[in-house]
Amino acid sequence: MNENPILRISTKILFAPIILFGLYVQFHGDFGPGGGFQAGVIVASAFILYSIVFGVDEGKKLFPSNINLFLLALGGLLYGGVGIASMLLGEEFLSYNILGSSPQSGQHIGILLIEFGVGLTVSNVMIALFNAFVSFKSGKNK
Amino acid sequence: MFLAALIACAISGILILIRIILGRTTFDRVLAVNSLGTIIVIGIALHGFYTNRPEFLDIAIVYALINFIGTVAVLKLFSTGSLGEQRK
Repeated sequence: MNENPILRISTKILFAPIILFGLYVQFHGDFGPGGGFQAGVIVASAFILYSIVFGVDEGKKLFPSNINLFLLALGGLLYGGVGIASMLLGEEFLSYNILGSSPQSGQHIGILLIEFGVGLTVSNVMIALFNAFVSFKSGKNK
Repeated sequence: MFLAALIACAISGILILIRIILGRTTFDRVLAVNSLGTIIVIGIALHGFYTNRPEFLDIAIVYALINFIGTVAVLKLFSTGSLGEQRK
């Protein structure tokens, strides 16, 4: 899409605000609509828009596949790690109360970390799915 | 006031749905789907203010964003036959 300056420039303008809005949905999820899943999809949509407009090769230059897969696994590890940490501190799996000095602050820390892990995993799964489907050549396996 | 605007949104949404079903060419349909998305964004925002829950505006912003990306994706798929390739 080299011949579409409006699309290219509007993508470049929109890219950072989309990610900012995704972070807002991520961390404002306790007070309004939102949470890790929605924020992950919004952040992924910024990278998907970039890949659509500039081509998937440019998108992979912006966000390499190995970092994508690494962050994908890191989100799941963060989720499981919070659960295991509360187990190691002597409570049940994913019981947040033990994580902080008081149960309230423990729940705050726990939910924040869990939602961050969910958001990281969902956004990277979305980008990886898009890359996988886009690089699929329809005539290759016939 | 908000109720009247919501009813107007519903009527124009039905008219756009008729255009989507009848649409002569693909691009008529793409344009109509884009317009329906805009009407739905307005409807979500109005519904949020009608029920005194302005946090619906967040959802309206997300809907506008997905609407834009979806239209760009469909147009690119029709013009190049692929979502990811960069046209030379």
